[in-house]
Amino acid sequence: MIRVEDVTKTYWMGDVEVQALAGLSFTVEDGEMVAIMGPSGSGKSTLMNILGVLDQPSTGSYQIDDEEVADMGEAQMAEIRNRKIGFVFQSFNLLPRLSALANVELPMLYSGMFSRAEREERAAAALASVGLGDRVHHKPKELSGGQQQRVAIARSLVNDPSIILADEPTGALDSHSTKEILAIFQQLNVEQGITIIFVTHEQDVADHCRRIVRIRDGRLESDLPVLNQHWKYQPLPLVENNQEKSLVRP
Amino acid sequence: MNIFESFKIALTSLASNKLRSLLTMLGIIIGVGAVIALQSIGEGVVATSLKRLQAQGTNLITISPAAQNAGGIILQSSNNNLTLEDSQAMDDTSRITKALGEAPEYQSGGQLVYNSKNTFGQAVGTTEKYPDVHDLTLASGDWFTDVDVTQSKQVVVVGAQVAKDLFDQDDPINKVVRLNRVNFTVVGVLNARGGTGFGSIDSQIYVPVTTAQKRLFGQRQQGVTGTGKPVSRIVLKANNADEVDKLISEVTDLLRERHKISGGQQDDFQVVNQQDLLQTARDQAATYTIFLLVIASISLFVGGIGIMNIMLVTVTERTREIGIRKAIGAKPGDILIQFMIESISICLLGGLIGVVLGVVSSLIVNATVPTLPTVLNPSTIVIAVGFAVAVGLFFGIYPARRASRLNPIDALRYD
Repeated sequence: MIRVEDVTKTYWMGDVEVQALAGLSFTVEDGEMVAIMGPSGSGKSTLMNILGVLDQPSTGSYQIDDEEVADMGEAQMAEIRNRKIGFVFQSFNLLPRLSALANVELPMLYSGMFSRAEREERAAAALASVGLGDRVHHKPKELSGGQQQRVAIARSLVNDPSIILADEPTGALDSHSTKEILAIFQQLNVEQGITIIFVTHEQDVADHCRRIVRIRDGRLESDLPVLNQHWKYQPLPLVENNQEKSLVRP
Repeated sequence: MNIFESFKIALTSLASNKLRSLLTMLGIIIGVGAVIALQSIGEGVVATSLKRLQAQGTNLITISPAAQNAGGIILQSSNNNLTLEDSQAMDDTSRITKALGEAPEYQSGGQLVYNSKNTFGQAVGTTEKYPDVHDLTLASGDWFTDVDVTQSKQVVVVGAQVAKDLFDQDDPINKVVRLNRVNFTVVGVLNARGGTGFGSIDSQIYVPVTTAQKRLFGQRQQGVTGTGKPVSRIVLKANNADEVDKLISEVTDLLRERHKISGGQQDDFQVVNQQDLLQTARDQAATYTIFLLVIASISLFVGGIGIMNIMLVTVTERTREIGIRKAIGAKPGDILIQFMIESISICLLGGLIGVVLGVVSSLIVNATVPTLPTVLNPSTIVIAVGFAVAVGLFFGIYPARRASRLNPIDALRYD
């Protein structure tokens, strides 16, 4: 569970003090699929960095599974990023010199919890689960954009995170790949109960989630369930549950 | 994250930019290679000179005119105050009890000509006792006799190298050679003794000391008594190694008496024993080693700066990679270790290539230059590589720290 309470973030740009977040509060329950939307300058990126434990709030509290991030040191933050959070970026952010398999192995390398053989096995399984079982030894530049993003999703999954944080994950993809990727996220959400947070400015993409949090000028503008869902993935019993969950929010 | 994985990452990243890695290593390669090659040559030279000194016998003492000390610089004395008579006085077994024998030497260089061939020979004027003192044996012919010495005969014994240079396949005995335009008849050829370079037994020629004084070098210096015939030095052989010190004091007493040097006055001669020379040679070797180490340090230092420079560039270039690694959970320490290992790998690899280069060039010198036998010292190799790794460690710290402290947000945004 993610709990954001009265979070502010101010930083200096030269001599000017900028307040990127001005007292933001919301909660994301386990297993939700939420889109965070907002125009540029709304504090969206700053919020994303804080949610991803890449940054800490200036004031306020941010908890992941009841752990307070605001008090953490750099090494502890790295550990949270490693174990609890999977990142998916707009520009994929794969290491170009490594094969798909090695890229997916990386988070496990830093967690140090698996042997070499286990790592390879888990990485291969993660790649297979996103439909790339036959591309494990390809380098990123030998893959299409959609395939690269799937490698990135496999990487984000491999340490069994509770949250996947996706920053404009379809921003660099054509419409066909976008559909594929969104379907994968929905599948992960439904089948594995992973909390998924999308940061996006595309309404169409946001409509694939079940709840949309809008922010403007560093404040919450609205927090509403998605009425007209593009819900492509439909093994029903689970969906039912999740929909109920997402409707709990005010 | 274990060390093995870290090395793998480091080597992968070095392999991805081979030319740059090689250029970066070059400073270390040259530094380590040069140290090993030079050290092996230096040690070879020292070993050769030690061998030569030992070949001459370690029970020898050498008396020569006193050196003059001018402002801390030791100059060879120009006054030839040692005479043939001094040398003859040392044959008195009631005064000099610890010596097996004594031989004066009157040395100078000269142009040695046989038919159309000529060579520069170091000529030694001495007596019939010289081969006993220096443990020399003859390959053919005989050493000149006491009669040859008293009658100043124009006869010569040649060293093995000289015989080879001048006569090649011919039998040198009874051939006439010209030394400084004076004819000499070859009466003997020495067996090869080994040892090379100037002053080697093999590359000298030997004539009666009286002949040398009268016919060859024409020195008129008369010694202290005014009537003596000068010699360059006198060499004595002690009965055994333990009696070298006693022999020195006997000789010193005798010479002070003959040269009329009383109480507090300084000797006008100096006595050097072979042990001292050996020690001097060893000291020189130590000095040489320090000198090499200084040069090596400088070259490795310069190499290290190159490595730091490239590592800083690498860190900047890979800012995005660092950001990605941090985002997916690399701790600052993981990044630090990654870059440290990279710079250490450069140095280790460079060091190993340098070792190969140094050993190969040392072997090439050994095979192609007969006068420079090289001696490879394993400890030098280990120290050189160790030093290279230390350079990597030292110069890698700053760039690696910089990498580990990058803010992941800025690093991810970096293009």
